[in-house]
Amino acid sequence: MVEIKGEGEERRWGRRRFLQYALGFSFFATLVGVLTPIIGYLWPPTKGAGATGGRARVSTTKEIPVGEGKVVSVGGEPVILINLAGGIKAFSAICTHFSCIVEWEKAGQYILCPCHDGRFNPITGAVISGPPPAPLPSVEVFIEGEDIYVEA
Amino acid sequence: MWRREVEKETWGGQVLHWLDERFELKRPLEKFLRKPVPAHASHWFYCLGGATAFFALVQGITGVLLALYYRPTPEEAYDSILLIMNEVRFGWLIRSMHSWSATLMVVFGFLHLLRVYLTGSYKPPRELNWIAGVLLGITTLAFSFTGYLLPWDQRAYWATTIGTDMAGTVPLVGDILLRFLRGGPEITALTLTRFYGAHVLILPVVFILLVGAHFIMVRRQGISGPL
Repeated sequence: MVEIKGEGEERRWGRRRFLQYALGFSFFATLVGVLTPIIGYLWPPTKGAGATGGRARVSTTKEIPVGEGKVVSVGGEPVILINLAGGIKAFSAICTHFSCIVEWEKAGQYILCPCHDGRFNPITGAVISGPPPAPLPSVEVFIEGEDIYVEA
Repeated sequence: MWRREVEKETWGGQVLHWLDERFELKRPLEKFLRKPVPAHASHWFYCLGGATAFFALVQGITGVLLALYYRPTPEEAYDSILLIMNEVRFGWLIRSMHSWSATLMVVFGFLHLLRVYLTGSYKPPRELNWIAGVLLGITTLAFSFTGYLLPWDQRAYWATTIGTDMAGTVPLVGDILLRFLRGGPEITALTLTRFYGAHVLILPVVFILLVGAHFIMVRRQGISGPL
């Protein structure tokens, strides 16, 4: 590849050529930097679309006696657990109005969004009053002994 | 770029030389690529239009990528956003770039408009390029408005409710306009597919045609003179 050329050789490997290679390398590095995320993105994700199908232990029945409620984090998403006489219910704790985190209003026995006074039925998740346009999506609950699991 | 010294000295130069030997591209391309920039236009604020075009290019690339995972139905739209953000490799990066670059494209487009206005570059003979630019600005805002609905979250839903309600207040044709935008009297799945179609099919074609005209006019007429 490298030719021995005496005088010409020195000029070919001079500053100009070095800078050209440096420039070429920086173009190449930029290209790799841009293409790496794009190729990674195109590669199919490891988990399937949506359905993850696991369950997560989030609390115990000791922690939430009958009539109490608690907001827990499930995979980064807030979920509200309510222990009613009829069993434990769980809903997404993200208010359907403007995504505030809802809380359990023990005195009135309803789920309350503190931002705009949206109220939800703790049995069905339906809107009782206030601005929320849709009910809270329910989350499946599994009880094993004292442990409370929800779908993750 | 196409000067003789570059040739055959680097790999890139060898490839260009090989292509030039076969297709004689150098001369015709030189005419387009070697255009001296007038001294007064070397000021940084002459780069605002180019920056806007760069963001448009980023929008094009990241937008095509997002379309591979996005699903434009009320049941699946938000879930597909979560998929992109949480499961897809670099999905957070691609979507965030699309979102940030959208904002910056509007900002830089507006700054470009101010520069053109303040340097009087809209004056004859460049009136048509000003008009093309304004149409590009409107197209960009249409992109923003339609793209805003696509995540199908609360903010998207209500922003579109308000935006289309505004169109409904236009005298006489308001009601027709509102129904046309929503694909019916309410915001439904039809609104989502309608906005998605406009965002990824109609508006890009309009935008590319206008940008082509915009650039050709700049090249043909040159950069406006100094102040």
